[in-house]
Amino acid sequence: MTSSKNLNVTLAFLGVFLLCAFFADFSITTLDPISEMKNFFGGVLQIDILKTPIYFDAVVNTICIAMVAIFISAILGFFFALYFHYTAVRISLAFTRAIHELFWALIFLQIFGLNTLTALLAIVIPYSATLGKVYSEILEEYDVFPKELQSRKASKVSIFLFTKLPDAMPHLISYTMYRFECALKSTAVLGFVGLTTLGYYLHGSFMQGFYGEVWLLLIIFYLIIITLKYWFTKYSAPFLLLFSFFYLDDFSGFNIDNLIRFLTFDIIPSPIRKEQSLSETYFWFENIFANEIMPGILNTIVLTQVSLIVTALIALLSFPLISRKFVSRPSAMGGNILLVVLRSTPEYILAYLFLQIWGPSMFPAVIALALHNGAIIGHIMGHQSNELILRPDATKKKIELYTYEVCPRIYGSFLAFLFYRWEVIMRESAILGILGIATLGFFIDSAIADIRLDKVVILLIFTASLNILVDFISRKVRNYLRLDTTIKNDCSCTI
Amino acid sequence: MFIKLDNETISYKDKIVLNSISLSINEGEKVALLGKSGSGKSTLLKRLYELHPQNSSYIPQELGLVNALSVFHNVYISNLDKHSTFYNIRNLIKPAQKEIDIIHPILDELYIHDLVFKKCGELSGGQKQRTAIARAILQDNAILLADEPISALDEFVTKKVLNSIVNKFETIVCALHNVDVALEYYDRVIGIKDGQIILDKQCNQITAEDTNQLYHVCDDQF
Repeated sequence: MTSSKNLNVTLAFLGVFLLCAFFADFSITTLDPISEMKNFFGGVLQIDILKTPIYFDAVVNTICIAMVAIFISAILGFFFALYFHYTAVRISLAFTRAIHELFWALIFLQIFGLNTLTALLAIVIPYSATLGKVYSEILEEYDVFPKELQSRKASKVSIFLFTKLPDAMPHLISYTMYRFECALKSTAVLGFVGLTTLGYYLHGSFMQGFYGEVWLLLIIFYLIIITLKYWFTKYSAPFLLLFSFFYLDDFSGFNIDNLIRFLTFDIIPSPIRKEQSLSETYFWFENIFANEIMPGILNTIVLTQVSLIVTALIALLSFPLISRKFVSRPSAMGGNILLVVLRSTPEYILAYLFLQIWGPSMFPAVIALALHNGAIIGHIMGHQSNELILRPDATKKKIELYTYEVCPRIYGSFLAFLFYRWEVIMRESAILGILGIATLGFFIDSAIADIRLDKVVILLIFTASLNILVDFISRKVRNYLRLDTTIKNDCSCTI
Repeated sequence: MFIKLDNETISYKDKIVLNSISLSINEGEKVALLGKSGSGKSTLLKRLYELHPQNSSYIPQELGLVNALSVFHNVYISNLDKHSTFYNIRNLIKPAQKEIDIIHPILDELYIHDLVFKKCGELSGGQKQRTAIARAILQDNAILLADEPISALDEFVTKKVLNSIVNKFETIVCALHNVDVALEYYDRVIGIKDGQIILDKQCNQITAEDTNQLYHVCDDQF
């Protein structure tokens, strides 16, 4: 029964994929992609470790911003979680969450300029919304204390603190740690729009073709992520946090007049601002809708759906690389390093790299999105397959083992992981427009460049709505497949 | 008449769990409910609790312990409404000696005094059950409604625990599996099968035939 449902969903999404692939632009526009690739990978040989101290400030800045941002987000998220049952809270969080941190950064750049405040707000706004949602789900999961034993006279705070929070706490902390890792990646990427984090130097070195520096920066970045659990512990966290608050001091751009101007003037649609007639306002909107919103939405959907299927393919192909059911221990370790590196590289950086090599089309974007997300899902599937206990006389032939024993057993959770990533892939698809692919981000970026913030807001509303729609469909599909109950526990922390 | 059910029928999702049950329990009676799992004992106990939430302590079968908190905290939970929120938070962070002194004798009687600051998640099944019993005792109510609270205890501890329960509560309704324990420590036994009462007698009037019937009622294999 369930397996035929799995098949239905798989076929439906493959159908959409074929339709989208037909419309997608997969051209390679660089003149000599092979030598571009040679240059990039040749960069490994030109790494100059002595340059590391140059990036010290950027490293500290990245870590401090991420740390303060996740701290504030966790506190806000916790309060949002307590009030998550209010529809108004739910809807506003869904909206703020659906807008990518880079878009938030682009908006705050207009208001506050290039400084720490912009970086913090860009992370805190979407992250606190995500944390709020997940915290509320976690707290709900631990709401198991019998109602009969809860005294009606005791204060709600006491009951919450004694019966719910203690058991939920480890789960809340582990999810927050996972989001901290995400925040480090996001903060690094904010450098691409000019904030002085690691991405800023990465962008500069990319532009000048100094691939040795690019590699050095990437390795520094991986080291920060991989060693996270060793330097960020419950003992060091308070000191690191305190240090971060003192270290971050560049709030010079804050100007309340700019904020007021932004809210009361800049984002008001220009025909209304100029007191033009209703028909002119409609014409203004129709123009944006037909020339930017529609093509933007279509391209975003095409890129998302194609990337989703290629992600699935990469996940299915890559998980045996780390599975002891298929490869030896040393090979599994090698596969693990590969998947962790791909998983730790933000899709934005991968896309930026592939765009340098192949030129702006959907091809490099799809490869970037699929490699990153496919590695995440493949990594989890690999671990799941390791935990499967097969009967001793199961076939030793690899292909048969894959198709008859392992895949059928983990296919359901594979689909669940894939649909959890769907929304993320769509958010990233929109953002990759900044790199020159005509998704929604492309039009948002152009509108910001033209300082037409009224248009930016309208485009963002459509971007967020599209995301919420995908989130909604994803939930429906998961319900149809009855997947939520089986993976809720381990999934929310890793995906 | 202390507790009274009159022709009560309770169903879950179209399935009748309790079928027109009539029952009255007097003040001071110690009643054992016997029956196999799924017979309707838990539903009956829950219903009795709903009738007297103010003066009864309730121990559900799943115990309702907070695994991340210590035995002390889990017992203290039943006193949350007697203190201010501030005092509760203070006790969550660092238990007051005064509260420890109140809880310690209860744990002592149940043979878990050495576990006072151990997390409930690290306890054995029997230790968890005794923690839940301690919580019920601290509540200081006249009635105890307990759903298989001693199923994981060994014989020696069972006796000690039952003795202290019998002393602490005036009226007891307790679901059990063990016919011998029921006959030894309780005044009255009620046998339940498929949501209906099939036997209800004072223990001193039980015949050998009744005992056989009760064994049959409690055996999960039939």
